Formats: sequence, structure tokens, C-alpha cells
Amino acid sequence: MQLPLLASTFATVFLAELGDKTQLAIVTISGTSSRSGAVFAGSSAALVLASLLGAGAGGSLSAVIPADALQLAASVGFLVIGTRLLLKAGQESEPEG
Amino acid sequence: MAEPSDEPKPPTSPEADASPEASNAADKAGSFGAVFLTTFTTVFLAELGDKTQLAALLLSAESGRPVLVFVGASLALISSSLVGVLLGRWLSRVLPPQQLERLAGILMIALGLWLGRQAAMSMFPLV
Repeated sequence: MQLPLLASTFATVFLAELGDKTQLAIVTISGTSSRSGAVFAGSSAALVLASLLGAGAGGSLSAVIPADALQLAASVGFLVIGTRLLLKAGQESEPEG
Repeated sequence: MAEPSDEPKPPTSPEADASPEASNAADKAGSFGAVFLTTFTTVFLAELGDKTQLAALLLSAESGRPVLVFVGASLALISSSLVGVLLGRWLSRVLPPQQLERLAGILMIALGLWLGRQAAMSMFPLV
């Protein structure tokens, strides 16, 4: 079994992920929702599917998917979640505010 | 109203609190499906658009063993998302909810702006 390849991929991806924006998003969503099971399931499914596409398509993936457009969409997603959180926090302190 | 203090569940077993009377708790805290979908979409978009992730996965192109790379990458991603979720849970127990929400909101907006700027810069390169 090609353990070195498995281990090197694990290490590379794990280190790349640590502190990556995706993980920050996961920490944020999990911290502000009491449903950490759903957050774990959602993030794992998304990450595995993304790596399935990546590993499967190999080099051709970067030509196929519009990475920048996806990143723009992701940034909108982050902004929406962030604004919702701030509104929620604001509501709790001054309900009429 | 007091946030239902869920006792620390073992992280591996998925939350199984779909009992009928929990439905009001579910509505209040956002149903499992809603949180799952929000997390899935956000993380999927961010991850697929992430060039470093693609670079890491191009190992498979060179090694010619996509299955192994996929297994290695998935294990790494699942462990890193577990770390993220547990960190989030710990934060939610250490920080007052309102303060955590404000901090989290600011962080997400900062991330969103940074991501948007990066995407915009590479889509419309300033000559």
C-alpha cells in the first residue's frame, strides 16, 4: 500500500487547512450554532466532495471550474453569514437598536 | 431565553436529537438541515475556489494514484473540520454568546472582504 503517498497527502492537506479561511469559517459557524453535529457533517461533506472533484479531475479541474467566480460566491456567503451574526449580536444587546 | 445547555456529546456520534418535542428547540436553533446546508454551501464554495487546495490535490496528477490522494486528502479535511468544530464549540462555552457572535461576525465579514478582493483582483488584474 502506498503509505508514503497517503501520509504525504494527509500532511500536506491537513497543514494547508489549518488556519485556512475554510477552517476559520467552520470555527465561526460551529461556535455560533448549537448544532455542531450539523456543522461537522456539512463541512466534512463539502470538503470531501471538493477533494473528490480535485483528486478525480487532477490537473484538468483547474481548467474546468471557474475558481475565481466560486471564490467570489464564497465571499458573498461569508459576508451574509457575518452580517447575520452581527445583526443577531446587535439585537441581543439593544432590542430596539 | 436560556440557551438549552446541551451536555458535551462525544464528537464522533452525529447529533441525534430529532425527538418530536425538540422541534421547537430545532426551530429556535435553526434546523439540522438548515445549518447543514449553510455550512455545506459556504465551505464547498470556499474550498473549491481555493487554489492552494487545488495545488495540494494535483499530487494525484503526478502520482497517478487519485484514489490514494483522495483518501489522504479526505481524512485530512475531515480531521481539520473536526478540529474546527470542536474549537468553535469550546469557544461557545468560554465566551459569552453575544460577544462570540460579534467577533464571529466581524471575522466572517473580514474573510468575505479578503476573499472577494482576492477573487476580484485575479478576475480583473490591474494592468
